[in-house]
Amino acid sequence: MSRYIRLYIHFLQFSFSKALEFRLDFFFKIIMDIVYYSVNILFFKVIYLHTPMLGGWTESQMMIFISTYILIDAISMTVFSSNMWWLPYHINRGDLDYHLIRPVSPLFFLSLKDFSANSFVNLLMAIFIFSYSLIHYSLPFHSLDVVLLCALVLNGALLYYCCQMLMILPVFWTQSARGFMDLFYSMGIAMERPDKIFTGWRRFVFTFIIPFSLIASFPAKLFIEKFNWPTFLHLISVSLLFWILMIFIWKKGIKAYSSASS
Amino acid sequence: MIEIKNLSKSFKSHKKEPGLKGSLKAVFHREEITKLALKSIDLSINKGEMIGLIGANGAGKTTLVKILAGIVHPTSGSATVLGHIPWERPNEYRRQMSLIMGQKNQVWWDLPALDSFLLLKEIYQIPKNQYQKNIDFLADTLMIKDQLKTQVRKLSLGERMKIELMAALLHNPQVIFLDEPTIGLDLSAQKAVRHFLLEYQKEFSPITILTSHYMEDIKELCPRVAIMKEGEIVFDGPLAEVQRMLGDEKVISVTTDVTTFKIHIPRENLASETQHLFQKHNVVDLNIQDPPIEEIIESLMKGGAP
Repeated sequence: MSRYIRLYIHFLQFSFSKALEFRLDFFFKIIMDIVYYSVNILFFKVIYLHTPMLGGWTESQMMIFISTYILIDAISMTVFSSNMWWLPYHINRGDLDYHLIRPVSPLFFLSLKDFSANSFVNLLMAIFIFSYSLIHYSLPFHSLDVVLLCALVLNGALLYYCCQMLMILPVFWTQSARGFMDLFYSMGIAMERPDKIFTGWRRFVFTFIIPFSLIASFPAKLFIEKFNWPTFLHLISVSLLFWILMIFIWKKGIKAYSSASS
Repeated sequence: MIEIKNLSKSFKSHKKEPGLKGSLKAVFHREEITKLALKSIDLSINKGEMIGLIGANGAGKTTLVKILAGIVHPTSGSATVLGHIPWERPNEYRRQMSLIMGQKNQVWWDLPALDSFLLLKEIYQIPKNQYQKNIDFLADTLMIKDQLKTQVRKLSLGERMKIELMAALLHNPQVIFLDEPTIGLDLSAQKAVRHFLLEYQKEFSPITILTSHYMEDIKELCPRVAIMKEGEIVFDGPLAEVQRMLGDEKVISVTTDVTTFKIHIPRENLASETQHLFQKHNVVDLNIQDPPIEEIIESLMKGGAP
């Protein structure tokens, strides 16, 4: 475990020294993300100009939800995104060879080696927005609620990563260039809406099959509304299930890779 | 110790006719082709041995190396390396093994080599003093000390190959697979790499399997060679014995007052044939040699004897 932490520190060092070389890219990324955050916050601000409550949430409650998914997005952009971008190409071109011969988990290596130092400033910004909306929250809350919310944010980032991986891993068999990534991104918007707006079969899809509602909406809901075990257990068990499924398919994929590569 | 028994590997692929029409057809009906890359290979290699694996493109060299490195699963048969089954990839095996592919790079291009080495130190858990000792030994022998702090992408191809070699050997592997380590290098870089490999073999005596298309590599490095043809090992033994494969032949190069030519003749006819030459032609110069090893191997791979 401590070895993996030391490895990760190396990845961090690499990314920062690389990022400092491409400064233009660095600033461009920051501006892009500021626009993204502003649009998201403004979208709800405009709605609240016309109504005091949206789906039972006040503006300061909605801000908790928005800052939660902004934070989760920032974490996955910083930690996973460039790895996820390159992974299908690595698999497709047979670049996994050198990763398979090392005495470390290839999944760890391939998922985490490219830390996006470019997005790091945005991660700080997201943390700021998150803290800001907590401080300006209109109702009283317990410090344990904050601890739980932070833990569920991390869980959300991991769940998002699992979903992304599950869309990429078919590349092992289909040999297509990008897997189902486009499908994934086009549905990603579901993460940015409160789960309340999904009813009927849509609700089932987004809380079980493609659990985007569990990533940010459920954690925010547990904070804003009273903590309740059914929601919590639903969130944890589906997350766990997706993690196990992802590891299982990854192992199958490696097996398929190694019987096909030449 | 490497012990290989009855090892076979087949790849499946789909046949597709060219063009859009062929693609459409392939959606509904696919013809599956099975290609045998390795046909029941037997081979055993001892500690400290360096064996050269030669063969034409597609003869199965790389497949064999990848199976032994644990990247590829065989279709049938068994193999153990240092007592481990390679494709189960136990960490204990991976820590003692190294693979160098001349066509693929493993160090990070945007960083100086030393940064990549530090990462490898962490991956292989190389103790600090051993790490420093190995860096010194490898950099000295490869004469690349001054380039370790330069970004790898700014180095020449030869220097990059040296860095790759260093990266692969930092953890003192007991088994080394070298897949065309000199490909694309100029003569002096090839020489330097060969010199280094010899030095390394002397110092640490690992098991080394080397594949190469350059006969110079094989001649200088490998006391033992295995020649592969279409997935089979057609010859396995000392390099010197390859010569006997095509029967005991001699090559006579003759220069007469009008022309020069070469003839291949069986050794037992040597005396009578030379006499005959002297009688028939006005010989200015005559040279009797063993046939060059390249020629023998080429004819072996093309499908001559055995």
